Amino acid sequence: MGMVQGVGAWTLGAIQRLGRACLFLMASLAGVPAALGRFRSVIAQLYSVGVQTLLIIVVAGLFVGMVLGLQFYYNLVDFGAESELGLLVALTLTRELGPVLAGLLFAGRAGSALTAEIGLMKATEQLAAMEMMAVDPMQRVIGPRFVAGIIAVPLLAAIFSAIGVIGAWLVGVGQLGLDDGVYWSSMNGGVDFFDDVLNGIIKSIVFGFVITWIAVFEGYDADPTSRGVAHATTRTVVSASLAVLGLDYILTAIMFGGL
Amino acid sequence: MNQAETAGTPDTRDSLVELRDVHFSYDTRPIYTGLSLRVPRGGVTVVMGPSGSGKSTMLNFIGRRLKPNSGDVFFDGIDIDKLSRAEMFALRKRMGMLFQSSALLTDLSVFENVAFPIREHTALPESLIRHLVLLKLEMVGLRGARDLMPAELSGGMQRRVALARAIALDPDLVIYDEPFTGLDPISMGVIVKLIRELNDALGTTSIVVTHDVEEGCSIADYVYLLGGGKVIGHGTPEEMHNSDSEDIRQFMNGLPDGPVAYHYPADPLDQDLFDGGSR
Repeated sequence: MGMVQGVGAWTLGAIQRLGRACLFLMASLAGVPAALGRFRSVIAQLYSVGVQTLLIIVVAGLFVGMVLGLQFYYNLVDFGAESELGLLVALTLTRELGPVLAGLLFAGRAGSALTAEIGLMKATEQLAAMEMMAVDPMQRVIGPRFVAGIIAVPLLAAIFSAIGVIGAWLVGVGQLGLDDGVYWSSMNGGVDFFDDVLNGIIKSIVFGFVITWIAVFEGYDADPTSRGVAHATTRTVVSASLAVLGLDYILTAIMFGGL
Repeated sequence: MNQAETAGTPDTRDSLVELRDVHFSYDTRPIYTGLSLRVPRGGVTVVMGPSGSGKSTMLNFIGRRLKPNSGDVFFDGIDIDKLSRAEMFALRKRMGMLFQSSALLTDLSVFENVAFPIREHTALPESLIRHLVLLKLEMVGLRGARDLMPAELSGGMQRRVALARAIALDPDLVIYDEPFTGLDPISMGVIVKLIRELNDALGTTSIVVTHDVEEGCSIADYVYLLGGGKVIGHGTPEEMHNSDSEDIRQFMNGLPDGPVAYHYPADPLDQDLFDGGSR
């Protein structure tokens, strides 16, 4: 009986959280126009979630691109198809790895910081103080962060993909001796803007939306204690990462599988 | 020393805030079972009660960060439970609140913290904002600390900055949540002095929630004592000190046992010790 009750309590708790998250989403979307009205605070947030995530995105993109260059080259060369290296790398990055890895890195670097920041603002009564100063935290705190997250992730994903392509070029052309023109022209001929690039951008926008939603909600919903904020931060990284991977499958199935 | 009246319309001429027959519970734990009190205009009203008697919860009703389960809360004759979210935000501009944790915005300097409500709610030119902020900081004696960050201040200084921020918009009502808790004697003396002086200089109304009897009584025009979810006594500080009610005397004199029992409810000790049980 204890276990059945436990499952029931857990399920009810999860449904309640989901309900709170949806109500929170509506309230924060209502705060978005006001946030856009004060674009300077959006820019400040873009700096902290976007620019400050740039380093990890560039470094990770470079290494991922270099690994792709090596792996694809060694496998393609067996079939005499190494001329397609550029195309394969570009498709892999724009369709999948760019949005997904940028999303995962964003969740770990910026999502966790968002949750901790908002959770601590709640724990130290800063959000309550704003409410009592007749300033709506949804407009002043949540809104700008939400907008910034949605803008930042597609840009970071694009940068990740671009750096990845350069990384693979360094390995394929610089180290393994593939012809420079062949590398770029295969990419030029095979990558379609709408099918590949645009779908990748749509994915990254969806990821940005979901990750930021999870991150700000977890912060806002955190228990206002040090333990509560720590838990919330962990939950952000775990749920946002899983959400990115799960959504990636669904979006891929819709976009490329004709689901 | 009669019970707070619960009938009639709110008297907006001499009470700025009125709570009438407020009932509230967290989940199943009752906090208030019929709380009624009035905060007279222009004075310092001190609400005292033991820790855990839900004093701070009452403040959340006045700012409507919480709604009572039943009962009415009036601010300047307005039933605030009936206001829309936007109307309530507009009404909050007439209130300033000092939080126990000071709740300064940690990423803004002292100057910007005090300027925050002014910037948010007015379109004043920068030179005027500077004047206003420096005047408020002067009142709390921290004009020289304007460029410091909250983390560089002591607890007492943080509370003074928060006080300057609370009065930045010249509110009708200033709410103090446990303003004396966790301060050294000097800072405490400063805050006590400031609450009284600011109230009289600015012509505002103040509500102070505290469990510090001595400091509370030293600044109070009127005292409410809470216990068991309602008002158990009220009067001027003198009346409270001279009261012969057991409840009031226990709190005012800090007696460990009395109507508020020393022991948390439990089985008798010998039964607990010798009749087994694992914890």
